[in-house]
Amino acid sequence: MAHAYRAVQWNRYKRLYDAVLAGGCVAYHVLFVGIGAATHPRATIETLVIRATATLAFLLLTVVLSIGPLCRLDPRLLPLLYNRRHLGVVTFLVAATHGVFSIVQFHALGDTHPLVSVLTANTEFASVSQFPFQPLGLLALLVLALMALTSHDFWLATLGPTTWKSLHMLVYAAWGLVVVHVALGVLQAERHPAFPVLVGAGVLWVGGIHAAAGLRERRGDRERPAAREGAWVEVCSADAIADGRAHVASVGDERVAVFRRGERLFALSNVCPHQGGPLGEGRIVDGCVTCPWHGHQFDPETGAAPPPYEDRATTIPLAVRDGTVWIAPDAERTS
Amino acid sequence: MSHGDEFFVGHAPRMPESTRRRVRRVAAALVACGLALGVALTMLQARFDEGVFEFGVERTFDGVLLAEPYPVLLVADADGAGPRTILLSAPGKHGADALVADLVGRPVEVTGSLIDNGRREMIEVHAVRDLSADARLPAVDAGGESLGRLILAGEIVDSKCHLGVMKPGRDKTHKACAIRCISGGVPPVLRVEDRHGRLAYFLLVGTDGRAIGRELLSMIAEPVEVTGDVTRFGDLLVMRTEPASIRRPASR
Repeated sequence: MAHAYRAVQWNRYKRLYDAVLAGGCVAYHVLFVGIGAATHPRATIETLVIRATATLAFLLLTVVLSIGPLCRLDPRLLPLLYNRRHLGVVTFLVAATHGVFSIVQFHALGDTHPLVSVLTANTEFASVSQFPFQPLGLLALLVLALMALTSHDFWLATLGPTTWKSLHMLVYAAWGLVVVHVALGVLQAERHPAFPVLVGAGVLWVGGIHAAAGLRERRGDRERPAAREGAWVEVCSADAIADGRAHVASVGDERVAVFRRGERLFALSNVCPHQGGPLGEGRIVDGCVTCPWHGHQFDPETGAAPPPYEDRATTIPLAVRDGTVWIAPDAERTS
Repeated sequence: MSHGDEFFVGHAPRMPESTRRRVRRVAAALVACGLALGVALTMLQARFDEGVFEFGVERTFDGVLLAEPYPVLLVADADGAGPRTILLSAPGKHGADALVADLVGRPVEVTGSLIDNGRREMIEVHAVRDLSADARLPAVDAGGESLGRLILAGEIVDSKCHLGVMKPGRDKTHKACAIRCISGGVPPVLRVEDRHGRLAYFLLVGTDGRAIGRELLSMIAEPVEVTGDVTRFGDLLVMRTEPASIRRPASR
Protein backbone atom coordinates (compact mmCIF):
# COMPACT_ATOMS: atom_id res chain seq x y z
CA MET A 1 0.00 0.00 0.00
CA ALA A 2 2.99 2.24 0.61
CA HIS A 3 3.34 4.88 -2.08
CA ALA A 4 6.76 6.15 -1.13
CA TYR A 5 8.89 3.60 0.66
CA ARG A 6 10.32 4.50 4.01
CA ALA A 7 12.47 2.31 6.24
CA VAL A 8 9.59 2.10 8.70
CA GLN A 9 6.24 3.83 8.50
CA TRP A 10 6.13 4.60 12.17
CA ASN A 11 2.99 5.20 14.12
CA ARG A 12 2.19 5.33 17.81
CA TYR A 13 1.21 1.68 18.08
CA LYS A 14 4.36 0.47 16.31
CA ARG A 15 6.47 2.55 18.66
CA LEU A 16 4.74 1.07 21.70
CA TYR A 17 4.96 -2.46 20.25
CA ASP A 18 8.66 -2.11 19.56
CA ALA A 19 9.36 -0.48 22.92
CA VAL A 20 7.73 -3.38 24.77
CA LEU A 21 9.52 -5.88 22.53
CA ALA A 22 12.94 -4.27 22.95
CA GLY A 23 12.44 -3.76 26.68
CA GLY A 24 11.35 -7.37 27.10
CA CYS A 25 14.39 -8.65 25.18
CA VAL A 26 16.80 -6.52 27.21
CA ALA A 27 15.15 -7.58 30.47
CA TYR A 28 15.33 -11.24 29.39
CA HIS A 29 19.07 -10.99 28.77
CA VAL A 30 19.74 -9.09 32.00
CA LEU A 31 17.80 -11.67 34.02
CA PHE A 32 19.20 -14.72 32.23
CA VAL A 33 22.82 -13.59 32.40
CA GLY A 34 22.53 -11.94 35.84
CA ILE A 35 20.75 -14.79 37.59
CA GLY A 36 22.80 -17.33 35.63
CA ALA A 37 26.03 -15.74 36.84
CA ALA A 38 24.73 -15.60 40.42
CA THR A 39 23.53 -19.20 40.54
CA HIS A 40 26.41 -20.62 38.49
CA PRO A 41 29.53 -18.78 39.66
CA ARG A 42 31.77 -20.83 37.34
CA ALA A 43 29.76 -19.86 34.25
CA THR A 44 31.43 -17.69 31.65
CA ILE A 45 29.64 -14.62 30.39
CA GLU A 46 29.95 -15.59 26.73
CA THR A 47 28.33 -18.96 27.42
CA LEU A 48 25.47 -17.27 29.26
CA VAL A 49 24.99 -14.82 26.38
CA ILE A 50 24.95 -17.71 23.89
CA ARG A 51 22.31 -19.47 25.96
CA ALA A 52 20.26 -16.35 26.64
CA THR A 53 20.07 -15.51 22.95
CA ALA A 54 19.39 -19.15 22.05
CA THR A 55 16.46 -19.55 24.44
CA LEU A 56 15.06 -16.12 23.62
CA ALA A 57 15.25 -16.70 19.86
CA PHE A 58 13.45 -20.02 20.26
CA LEU A 59 10.81 -18.36 22.42
CA LEU A 60 10.33 -15.45 20.00
CA LEU A 61 10.12 -17.76 17.00
CA THR A 62 7.47 -19.77 18.83
CA VAL A 63 5.49 -16.57 19.43
CA VAL A 64 5.93 -15.45 15.81
CA LEU A 65 4.54 -18.76 14.58
CA SER A 66 1.72 -18.70 17.12
CA ILE A 67 0.31 -15.28 16.27
CA GLY A 68 -1.20 -16.22 12.90
CA PRO A 69 -3.23 -19.24 14.02
CA LEU A 70 -4.14 -17.59 17.33
CA CYS A 71 -5.63 -14.66 15.44
CA ARG A 72 -7.61 -17.10 13.31
CA LEU A 73 -8.92 -18.68 16.49
CA ASP A 74 -9.53 -15.41 18.34
CA PRO A 75 -9.56 -12.19 16.27
CA ARG A 76 -9.28 -10.14 19.46
CA LEU A 77 -5.54 -10.92 19.31
CA LEU A 78 -5.09 -9.18 15.94
CA PRO A 79 -3.17 -6.24 17.45
CA LEU A 80 -0.32 -8.72 18.01
CA LEU A 81 -0.26 -9.46 14.28
CA TYR A 82 -0.24 -5.84 13.13
CA ASN A 83 3.50 -5.37 13.78
CA ARG A 84 4.58 -9.01 13.48
CA ARG A 85 7.24 -8.16 10.93
CA HIS A 86 9.15 -6.18 13.55
CA LEU A 87 8.88 -9.16 15.87
CA GLY A 88 10.29 -11.33 13.10
CA VAL A 89 13.21 -8.98 12.50
CA VAL A 90 13.98 -8.86 16.23
CA THR A 91 13.86 -12.67 16.31
CA PHE A 92 16.44 -12.73 13.53
CA LEU A 93 18.65 -10.20 15.35
CA VAL A 94 18.57 -12.26 18.56
CA ALA A 95 19.25 -15.47 16.60
CA ALA A 96 22.07 -13.72 14.71
CA THR A 97 23.65 -12.66 18.01
CA HIS A 98 23.50 -16.28 19.13
CA GLY A 99 25.02 -17.40 15.85
CA VAL A 100 27.85 -14.86 15.86
CA PHE A 101 28.77 -15.54 19.50
CA SER A 102 28.66 -19.30 18.91
CA ILE A 103 30.74 -19.18 15.73
CA VAL A 104 33.35 -16.97 17.40
CA GLN A 105 33.35 -19.08 20.56
CA PHE A 106 33.51 -22.50 18.96
CA HIS A 107 35.15 -21.90 15.59
CA ALA A 108 37.23 -18.71 15.53
CA LEU A 109 40.99 -18.47 16.16
CA GLY A 110 41.58 -21.94 14.76
CA ASP A 111 43.27 -23.48 11.75
CA THR A 112 40.18 -23.19 9.50
CA HIS A 113 37.91 -20.32 8.50
CA PRO A 114 35.12 -20.18 11.12
CA LEU A 115 32.27 -20.54 8.61
CA VAL A 116 34.02 -23.44 6.88
CA SER A 117 34.60 -24.97 10.29
CA VAL A 118 30.87 -24.81 11.14
CA LEU A 119 30.15 -26.94 8.09
CA THR A 120 33.13 -29.28 8.19
CA ALA A 121 34.34 -29.76 11.78
CA ASN A 122 31.88 -32.50 12.65
CA THR A 123 31.06 -34.82 9.76
CA GLU A 124 29.23 -37.57 11.66
CA PHE A 125 26.20 -37.40 9.37
CA ALA A 126 25.58 -41.13 9.68
CA SER A 127 25.15 -40.99 13.44
CA VAL A 128 22.01 -39.80 15.21
CA SER A 129 23.67 -39.00 18.53
CA GLN A 130 26.69 -37.29 16.96
CA PHE A 131 24.93 -35.68 13.98
CA PRO A 132 26.33 -32.15 13.43
CA PHE A 133 23.69 -29.79 14.81
CA GLN A 134 25.49 -26.50 14.17
CA PRO A 135 25.06 -26.46 10.34
CA LEU A 136 21.31 -26.85 10.94
CA GLY A 137 21.35 -23.73 13.10
CA LEU A 138 23.37 -21.85 10.50
CA LEU A 139 20.90 -22.83 7.79
CA ALA A 140 17.97 -21.69 9.96
CA LEU A 141 19.76 -18.40 10.55
CA LEU A 142 20.23 -17.89 6.81
CA VAL A 143 16.52 -18.47 6.24
CA LEU A 144 15.65 -15.98 9.00
CA ALA A 145 18.12 -13.51 7.48
CA LEU A 146 16.50 -13.85 4.06
CA MET A 147 13.10 -13.21 5.59
CA ALA A 148 14.28 -10.27 7.67
CA LEU A 149 15.99 -8.68 4.66
CA THR A 150 12.87 -9.04 2.50
CA SER A 151 10.37 -8.09 5.19
CA HIS A 152 9.95 -4.54 3.90
CA ASP A 153 7.00 -3.55 1.71
CA PHE A 154 9.47 -2.74 -1.07
CA TRP A 155 10.19 -6.44 -1.42
CA LEU A 156 6.52 -7.28 -1.09
CA ALA A 157 5.78 -5.02 -4.06
CA THR A 158 8.86 -6.12 -6.01
CA LEU A 159 8.37 -9.86 -5.58
CA GLY A 160 4.58 -9.77 -5.65
CA PRO A 161 2.35 -10.99 -2.80
CA THR A 162 2.33 -14.65 -3.89
CA THR A 163 6.10 -15.01 -4.21
CA TRP A 164 6.68 -12.91 -1.10
CA LYS A 165 4.26 -14.99 0.93
CA SER A 166 5.78 -18.24 -0.35
CA LEU A 167 9.22 -16.99 0.58
CA HIS A 168 8.06 -16.08 4.07
CA MET A 169 6.42 -19.46 4.55
CA LEU A 170 10.03 -20.65 4.83
CA VAL A 171 9.69 -19.65 8.46
CA TYR A 172 8.30 -23.15 8.99
CA ALA A 173 11.44 -24.66 7.48
CA ALA A 174 13.51 -22.45 9.80
CA TRP A 175 11.41 -23.59 12.75
CA GLY A 176 11.96 -27.25 11.84
CA LEU A 177 15.71 -26.70 11.50
CA VAL A 178 15.81 -24.92 14.87
CA VAL A 179 13.90 -27.72 16.60
CA VAL A 180 16.32 -30.35 15.25
CA HIS A 181 19.27 -28.05 16.03
CA VAL A 182 18.09 -27.89 19.64
CA ALA A 183 17.22 -31.59 19.88
CA LEU A 184 20.61 -32.71 18.57
CA GLY A 185 22.52 -30.04 20.46
CA VAL A 186 21.62 -28.68 23.83
CA LEU A 187 19.11 -31.41 24.67
CA GLN A 188 21.98 -33.90 24.56
CA ALA A 189 23.98 -31.80 27.01
CA GLU A 190 21.45 -30.57 29.55
CA ARG A 191 20.30 -33.18 32.04
CA HIS A 192 17.22 -31.52 33.58
CA PRO A 193 13.97 -32.95 32.16
CA ALA A 194 12.50 -29.45 31.89
CA PHE A 195 14.49 -28.80 28.71
CA PRO A 196 13.07 -31.60 26.55
CA VAL A 197 9.66 -31.08 28.11
CA LEU A 198 9.65 -27.38 27.18
CA VAL A 199 10.91 -27.99 23.64
CA GLY A 200 8.33 -30.75 23.19
CA ALA A 201 5.60 -28.50 24.56
CA GLY A 202 6.63 -25.76 22.14
CA VAL A 203 6.46 -28.14 19.18
CA LEU A 204 3.07 -29.52 20.28
CA TRP A 205 1.76 -25.99 20.89
CA VAL A 206 2.76 -24.68 17.47
CA GLY A 207 1.50 -27.79 15.72
CA GLY A 208 -1.67 -27.88 17.79
CA ILE A 209 -2.81 -24.31 17.20
CA HIS A 210 -2.06 -24.59 13.48
CA ALA A 211 -4.15 -27.74 13.31
CA ALA A 212 -6.94 -26.11 15.34
CA ALA A 213 -6.95 -23.00 13.17
CA GLY A 214 -6.92 -25.10 10.00
CA LEU A 215 -9.84 -27.20 11.20
CA ARG A 216 -11.79 -24.09 12.08
CA GLU A 217 -11.18 -22.58 8.65
CA ARG A 218 -12.24 -25.78 6.96
CA ARG A 219 -15.37 -26.00 9.11
CA GLY A 220 -16.16 -22.40 8.24
CA ASP A 221 -15.90 -23.19 4.54
CA ARG A 222 -18.26 -26.13 4.93
CA GLU A 223 -20.76 -23.98 6.79
CA ARG A 224 -21.05 -21.57 3.85
CA PRO A 225 -22.23 -23.69 0.92
CA ALA A 226 -23.23 -21.57 -2.07
CA ALA A 227 -26.04 -22.44 -4.54
CA ARG A 228 -25.45 -21.77 -8.27
CA GLU A 229 -27.64 -20.53 -11.11
CA GLY A 230 -25.61 -20.29 -14.27
CA ALA A 231 -22.79 -17.85 -13.64
CA TRP A 232 -24.43 -16.57 -10.50
CA VAL A 233 -23.88 -17.97 -7.04
CA GLU A 234 -26.26 -17.36 -4.16
CA VAL A 235 -24.50 -15.98 -1.12
CA CYS A 236 -26.91 -14.98 1.63
CA SER A 237 -29.83 -12.75 2.53
CA ALA A 238 -29.01 -9.09 2.02
CA ASP A 239 -30.49 -8.32 5.46
CA ALA A 240 -28.02 -10.70 7.08
CA ILE A 241 -25.13 -8.29 6.46
CA ALA A 242 -24.76 -5.53 9.02
CA ASP A 243 -23.75 -2.07 7.95
CA GLY A 244 -19.97 -1.74 7.73
CA ARG A 245 -19.46 -5.49 7.99
CA ALA A 246 -19.06 -8.38 5.57
CA HIS A 247 -20.40 -11.83 4.98
CA VAL A 248 -17.82 -14.33 3.73
CA ALA A 249 -18.89 -17.02 1.28
CA SER A 250 -16.90 -19.95 -0.07
CA VAL A 251 -17.13 -20.28 -3.81
CA GLY A 252 -15.10 -23.16 -5.13
CA ASP A 253 -11.58 -22.73 -3.83
CA GLU A 254 -12.09 -19.04 -3.21
CA ARG A 255 -13.61 -16.94 -0.45
CA VAL A 256 -15.60 -13.86 -1.31
CA ALA A 257 -16.43 -11.03 1.08
CA VAL A 258 -19.74 -9.21 0.62
CA PHE A 259 -19.65 -5.84 2.36
CA ARG A 260 -22.49 -3.50 3.23
CA ARG A 261 -21.90 0.25 3.11
CA GLY A 262 -25.22 1.86 3.99
CA GLU A 263 -27.79 0.68 1.49
CA ARG A 264 -25.27 -0.67 -0.99
CA LEU A 265 -23.55 -4.07 -1.13
CA PHE A 266 -20.19 -4.88 -2.69
CA ALA A 267 -18.35 -8.14 -3.34
CA LEU A 268 -14.58 -8.45 -3.20
CA SER A 269 -12.11 -11.27 -3.07
CA ASN A 270 -11.54 -12.06 0.58
CA VAL A 271 -7.77 -11.91 0.05
CA CYS A 272 -6.14 -8.58 0.82
CA PRO A 273 -3.64 -7.75 -1.96
CA HIS A 274 -1.19 -6.49 0.66
CA GLN A 275 -0.34 -9.68 2.56
CA GLY A 276 -3.30 -11.95 2.02
CA GLY A 277 -5.26 -10.86 5.09
CA PRO A 278 -8.96 -11.84 5.36
CA LEU A 279 -10.69 -8.69 4.10
CA GLY A 280 -14.11 -10.07 5.07
CA GLU A 281 -13.15 -9.94 8.73
CA GLY A 282 -12.47 -6.24 8.34
CA ARG A 283 -14.83 -3.29 8.46
CA ILE A 284 -15.88 -0.29 6.44
CA VAL A 285 -13.88 2.61 7.89
CA ASP A 286 -14.18 6.09 6.33
CA GLY A 287 -16.14 4.49 3.46
CA CYS A 288 -13.38 2.01 2.67
CA VAL A 289 -13.00 -1.71 3.25
CA THR A 290 -10.29 -1.94 5.89
CA CYS A 291 -8.18 -5.09 6.30
CA PRO A 292 -8.04 -6.39 9.88
CA TRP A 293 -4.36 -7.32 9.59
CA HIS A 294 -2.60 -4.09 8.70
CA GLY A 295 -5.41 -1.61 8.16
CA HIS A 296 -4.93 -1.34 4.40
CA GLN A 297 -7.96 0.28 2.79
CA PHE A 298 -9.83 -0.16 -0.50
CA ASP A 299 -12.83 1.47 -2.12
CA PRO A 300 -15.43 -1.34 -2.12
CA GLU A 301 -16.86 -0.18 -5.45
CA THR A 302 -13.63 -0.09 -7.45
CA GLY A 303 -11.24 -2.05 -5.25
CA ALA A 304 -8.74 0.81 -5.50
CA ALA A 305 -6.76 1.97 -2.52
CA PRO A 306 -7.18 5.66 -1.68
CA PRO A 307 -4.61 7.89 -3.44
CA PRO A 308 -1.67 8.08 -3.41
CA TYR A 309 -1.59 4.32 -2.83
CA GLU A 310 -1.80 2.05 -5.84
CA ASP A 311 -2.93 -1.33 -4.48
CA ARG A 312 -6.21 -2.71 -5.73
CA ALA A 313 -8.47 -5.38 -4.27
CA THR A 314 -10.36 -7.66 -6.63
CA THR A 315 -14.03 -6.74 -7.01
CA ILE A 316 -16.68 -9.22 -8.11
CA PRO A 317 -20.02 -8.52 -9.85
CA LEU A 318 -22.94 -8.57 -7.40
CA ALA A 319 -26.72 -8.44 -7.72
CA VAL A 320 -29.55 -8.47 -5.19
CA ARG A 321 -32.68 -10.37 -6.24
CA ASP A 322 -35.69 -10.60 -3.95
CA GLY A 323 -33.56 -9.72 -0.95
CA THR A 324 -30.91 -12.36 -1.76
CA VAL A 325 -27.34 -11.55 -2.63
CA TRP A 326 -25.90 -13.18 -5.75
CA ILE A 327 -22.38 -12.87 -7.10
CA ALA A 328 -20.78 -13.85 -10.41
CA PRO A 329 -17.33 -15.04 -9.36
CA ASP A 330 -16.32 -16.18 -12.83
CA ALA A 331 -17.38 -12.95 -14.55
CA GLU A 332 -14.87 -10.28 -15.50
CA ARG A 333 -13.38 -8.73 -12.40
CA THR A 334 -11.54 -5.59 -11.65
CA SER A 335 -8.24 -5.88 -9.89
CA MET B 1 -9.62 -6.35 15.26
CA SER B 2 -13.30 -6.97 15.31
CA HIS B 3 -14.95 -7.53 18.65
CA GLY B 4 -18.32 -6.07 19.36
CA ASP B 5 -18.34 -2.65 17.75
CA GLU B 6 -14.62 -2.11 18.18
CA PHE B 7 -12.22 -2.50 15.29
CA PHE B 8 -8.46 -2.20 15.61
CA VAL B 9 -6.60 -0.25 12.96
CA GLY B 10 -2.91 -0.07 13.77
CA HIS B 11 -2.28 3.25 12.06
CA ALA B 12 -5.31 4.94 13.63
CA PRO B 13 -4.39 7.72 16.05
CA ARG B 14 -6.21 6.12 18.98
CA MET B 15 -6.93 2.54 19.91
CA PRO B 16 -10.40 1.64 21.19
CA GLU B 17 -10.35 1.63 24.99
CA SER B 18 -11.29 -2.02 25.53
CA THR B 19 -8.77 -3.07 22.87
CA ARG B 20 -6.11 -1.02 24.60
CA ARG B 21 -6.84 -2.72 27.93
CA ARG B 22 -6.75 -6.16 26.32
CA VAL B 23 -3.50 -5.47 24.46
CA ARG B 24 -1.92 -4.28 27.69
CA ARG B 25 -3.00 -7.44 29.51
CA VAL B 26 -1.82 -9.76 26.73
CA ALA B 27 1.50 -7.93 26.33
CA ALA B 28 2.11 -7.95 30.10
CA ALA B 29 1.28 -11.66 30.29
CA LEU B 30 3.57 -12.50 27.36
CA VAL B 31 6.48 -10.48 28.75
CA ALA B 32 5.99 -11.89 32.27
CA CYS B 33 5.81 -15.48 31.00
CA GLY B 34 8.88 -14.97 28.83
CA LEU B 35 10.91 -13.51 31.69
CA ALA B 36 9.77 -16.23 34.10
CA LEU B 37 10.78 -18.85 31.56
CA GLY B 38 14.18 -17.20 31.14
CA VAL B 39 14.76 -17.18 34.91
CA ALA B 40 13.74 -20.85 35.16
CA LEU B 41 15.96 -21.89 32.25
CA THR B 42 19.05 -20.10 33.53
CA MET B 43 18.61 -21.64 36.98
CA LEU B 44 18.03 -25.15 35.59
CA GLN B 45 21.25 -25.21 33.55
CA ALA B 46 23.56 -28.09 34.36
CA ARG B 47 26.35 -27.29 36.79
CA PHE B 48 29.31 -25.64 35.13
CA ASP B 49 32.72 -27.30 35.40
CA GLU B 50 35.11 -26.00 38.05
CA GLY B 51 37.87 -25.03 35.69
CA VAL B 52 39.19 -21.48 35.59
CA PHE B 53 40.85 -19.59 32.76
CA GLU B 54 42.68 -16.53 34.06
CA PHE B 55 41.93 -14.56 30.90
CA GLY B 56 43.77 -11.24 30.90
CA VAL B 57 45.92 -12.25 33.89
CA GLU B 58 49.57 -13.05 33.19
CA ARG B 59 51.84 -15.11 35.41
CA THR B 60 55.37 -16.39 35.00
CA PHE B 61 56.46 -19.98 35.54
CA ASP B 62 60.02 -21.30 35.67
CA GLY B 63 60.70 -24.85 34.59
CA VAL B 64 62.19 -27.18 32.07
CA LEU B 65 60.56 -27.38 28.68
CA LEU B 66 59.67 -30.80 27.32
CA ALA B 67 58.04 -31.51 23.98
CA GLU B 68 57.65 -35.24 23.55
CA PRO B 69 55.41 -34.93 21.71
CA TYR B 70 53.33 -32.10 23.18
CA PRO B 71 54.88 -29.06 24.89
CA VAL B 72 54.93 -29.48 28.66
CA LEU B 73 56.60 -27.40 31.34
CA LEU B 74 58.16 -29.38 34.15
CA VAL B 75 58.25 -27.20 37.25
CA ALA B 76 59.53 -27.78 40.77
CA ASP B 77 56.58 -28.16 43.12
CA ALA B 78 56.30 -25.45 45.73
CA ASP B 79 56.24 -27.91 48.64
CA GLY B 80 59.25 -29.77 47.31
CA ALA B 81 57.28 -32.95 46.70
CA GLY B 82 58.75 -33.31 43.25
CA PRO B 83 58.24 -31.79 39.83
CA ARG B 84 54.80 -31.29 38.40
CA THR B 85 53.85 -30.98 34.78
CA ILE B 86 51.90 -28.15 33.18
CA LEU B 87 50.55 -28.55 29.67
CA LEU B 88 51.19 -25.67 27.25
CA SER B 89 49.09 -24.19 24.50
CA ALA B 90 49.19 -21.09 22.33
CA PRO B 91 46.46 -18.38 22.23
CA GLY B 92 43.36 -19.35 20.32
CA LYS B 93 42.83 -22.92 19.17
CA HIS B 94 46.50 -23.75 18.66
CA GLY B 95 49.21 -25.84 20.20
CA ALA B 96 52.35 -24.22 21.60
CA ASP B 97 54.82 -26.14 19.44
CA ALA B 98 55.88 -23.15 17.38
CA LEU B 99 56.36 -20.99 20.48
CA VAL B 100 58.76 -23.39 22.17
CA ALA B 101 60.43 -25.14 19.25
CA ASP B 102 63.91 -23.77 19.85
CA LEU B 103 63.90 -24.22 23.61
CA VAL B 104 63.04 -27.87 24.15
CA GLY B 105 65.02 -29.41 26.97
CA ARG B 106 66.11 -26.06 28.37
CA PRO B 107 65.16 -24.22 31.55
CA VAL B 108 62.79 -21.44 30.61
CA GLU B 109 60.53 -18.74 32.02
CA VAL B 110 57.05 -19.05 30.54
CA THR B 111 54.69 -16.07 30.67
CA GLY B 112 51.03 -16.69 30.12
CA SER B 113 47.54 -17.20 31.50
CA LEU B 114 46.81 -20.15 33.76
CA ILE B 115 44.04 -22.64 33.01
CA ASP B 116 43.28 -24.90 35.96
CA ASN B 117 40.46 -27.25 36.86
CA GLY B 118 41.95 -28.36 40.17
CA ARG B 119 43.28 -31.61 38.78
CA ARG B 120 45.46 -30.43 35.94
CA GLU B 121 46.96 -27.15 34.80
CA MET B 122 47.74 -25.61 31.46
CA ILE B 123 49.38 -22.34 30.50
CA GLU B 124 48.23 -20.36 27.49
CA VAL B 125 51.71 -19.24 26.51
CA HIS B 126 52.30 -15.60 25.60
CA ALA B 127 56.12 -15.56 25.79
CA VAL B 128 59.01 -17.88 26.59
CA ARG B 129 62.43 -16.77 27.80
CA ASP B 130 65.52 -18.97 27.84
CA LEU B 131 66.97 -19.38 31.35
CA SER B 132 69.90 -21.59 30.39
CA ALA B 133 72.34 -19.33 32.17
CA ASP B 134 70.35 -19.43 35.39
CA ALA B 135 71.84 -22.08 37.73
CA ARG B 136 68.99 -21.93 40.26
CA LEU B 137 66.78 -24.46 38.49
CA PRO B 138 67.54 -28.02 39.62
CA ALA B 139 67.79 -30.77 37.10
CA VAL B 140 64.57 -32.72 36.87
CA ASP B 141 64.06 -36.38 36.24
CA ALA B 142 61.71 -36.86 33.32
CA GLY B 143 61.91 -40.63 33.42
CA GLY B 144 58.63 -42.55 33.35
CA GLU B 145 57.08 -45.51 35.18
CA SER B 146 55.18 -48.02 33.06
CA LEU B 147 51.68 -48.87 34.30
CA GLY B 148 51.10 -51.55 31.69
CA ARG B 149 48.56 -51.99 28.95
CA LEU B 150 45.10 -50.66 29.79
CA ILE B 151 41.69 -50.48 28.16
CA LEU B 152 39.96 -47.26 29.22
CA ALA B 153 36.45 -45.95 28.50
CA GLY B 154 36.12 -42.18 28.39
CA GLU B 155 35.93 -39.15 26.15
CA ILE B 156 38.68 -37.54 24.10
CA VAL B 157 38.71 -33.82 24.86
CA ASP B 158 40.92 -30.92 23.93
CA SER B 159 42.88 -30.18 27.06
CA LYS B 160 42.69 -26.40 26.76
CA CYS B 161 38.93 -25.98 26.65
CA HIS B 162 38.27 -28.84 29.00
CA LEU B 163 40.54 -27.56 31.74
CA GLY B 164 38.70 -24.26 31.99
CA VAL B 165 38.46 -22.15 28.86
CA MET B 166 35.03 -23.46 27.81
CA LYS B 167 31.99 -24.34 29.88
CA PRO B 168 31.27 -27.04 29.02
CA GLY B 169 34.55 -28.18 27.50
CA ARG B 170 33.27 -31.61 26.55
CA ASP B 171 30.25 -33.50 25.15
CA LYS B 172 28.29 -32.95 21.96
CA THR B 173 27.79 -29.20 22.22
CA HIS B 174 31.56 -28.71 22.42
CA LYS B 175 32.46 -31.32 19.79
CA ALA B 176 33.18 -28.96 16.89
CA CYS B 177 35.30 -26.67 19.07
CA ALA B 178 37.28 -29.64 20.42
CA ILE B 179 37.89 -30.83 16.87
CA ARG B 180 39.10 -27.36 15.92
CA CYS B 181 41.43 -27.16 18.94
CA ILE B 182 42.96 -30.61 18.54
CA SER B 183 43.32 -30.04 14.81
CA GLY B 184 45.20 -26.87 15.71
CA GLY B 185 47.66 -28.71 17.95
CA VAL B 186 46.14 -28.49 21.41
CA PRO B 187 47.09 -31.74 23.21
CA PRO B 188 44.33 -34.38 23.11
CA VAL B 189 43.47 -35.94 26.44
CA LEU B 190 41.38 -38.97 27.32
CA ARG B 191 39.05 -37.99 30.16
CA VAL B 192 38.14 -40.96 32.29
CA GLU B 193 35.59 -40.78 35.10
CA ASP B 194 35.07 -43.70 37.44
CA ARG B 195 31.75 -44.60 39.02
CA HIS B 196 32.56 -42.45 42.04
CA GLY B 197 32.99 -39.39 39.86
CA ARG B 198 36.78 -39.33 40.19
CA LEU B 199 38.57 -38.00 37.14
CA ALA B 200 41.82 -39.04 35.48
CA TYR B 201 43.42 -37.59 32.36
CA PHE B 202 45.61 -39.47 29.90
CA LEU B 203 47.64 -37.56 27.35
CA LEU B 204 47.21 -39.45 24.08
CA VAL B 205 50.21 -40.15 21.85
CA GLY B 206 50.87 -42.62 19.04
CA THR B 207 52.44 -46.02 19.64
CA ASP B 208 55.77 -44.51 18.59
CA GLY B 209 55.30 -41.50 20.85
CA ARG B 210 54.27 -39.08 18.09
CA ALA B 211 51.49 -36.48 18.29
CA ILE B 212 48.21 -37.93 16.99
CA GLY B 213 45.72 -35.07 17.26
CA ARG B 214 44.56 -34.99 13.65
CA GLU B 215 44.13 -38.77 13.59
CA LEU B 216 41.63 -38.55 16.44
CA LEU B 217 39.26 -35.98 14.94
CA SER B 218 36.49 -38.46 14.15
CA MET B 219 36.47 -39.80 17.72
CA ILE B 220 36.37 -36.59 19.72
CA ALA B 221 33.71 -35.63 22.27
CA GLU B 222 31.86 -38.91 22.32
CA PRO B 223 32.13 -42.09 24.38
CA VAL B 224 35.10 -44.17 23.24
CA GLU B 225 37.19 -47.10 24.37
CA VAL B 226 40.95 -46.65 24.08
CA THR B 227 43.55 -49.37 24.43
CA GLY B 228 47.18 -48.53 25.01
CA ASP B 229 50.33 -48.60 27.11
CA VAL B 230 50.25 -46.12 29.99
CA THR B 231 53.33 -44.48 31.43
CA ARG B 232 53.45 -42.14 34.40
CA PHE B 233 55.81 -39.17 34.11
CA GLY B 234 55.58 -37.62 37.55
CA ASP B 235 51.97 -36.47 37.77
CA LEU B 236 51.36 -36.88 34.02
CA LEU B 237 49.78 -40.03 32.61
CA VAL B 238 50.63 -40.68 28.97
CA MET B 239 48.88 -43.36 26.92
CA ARG B 240 50.47 -44.72 23.76
CA THR B 241 47.75 -45.93 21.45
CA GLU B 242 47.05 -46.72 17.84
CA PRO B 243 44.32 -44.26 16.71
CA ALA B 244 42.76 -46.86 14.40
CA SER B 245 42.19 -49.13 17.40
CA ILE B 246 39.96 -46.62 19.22
CA ARG B 247 36.42 -47.96 19.38
CA ARG B 248 32.99 -46.52 19.99
CA PRO B 249 30.69 -48.44 22.35
CA ALA B 250 28.39 -50.83 20.51
CA SER B 251 25.21 -48.75 21.11
CA ARG B 252 25.46 -45.26 19.62
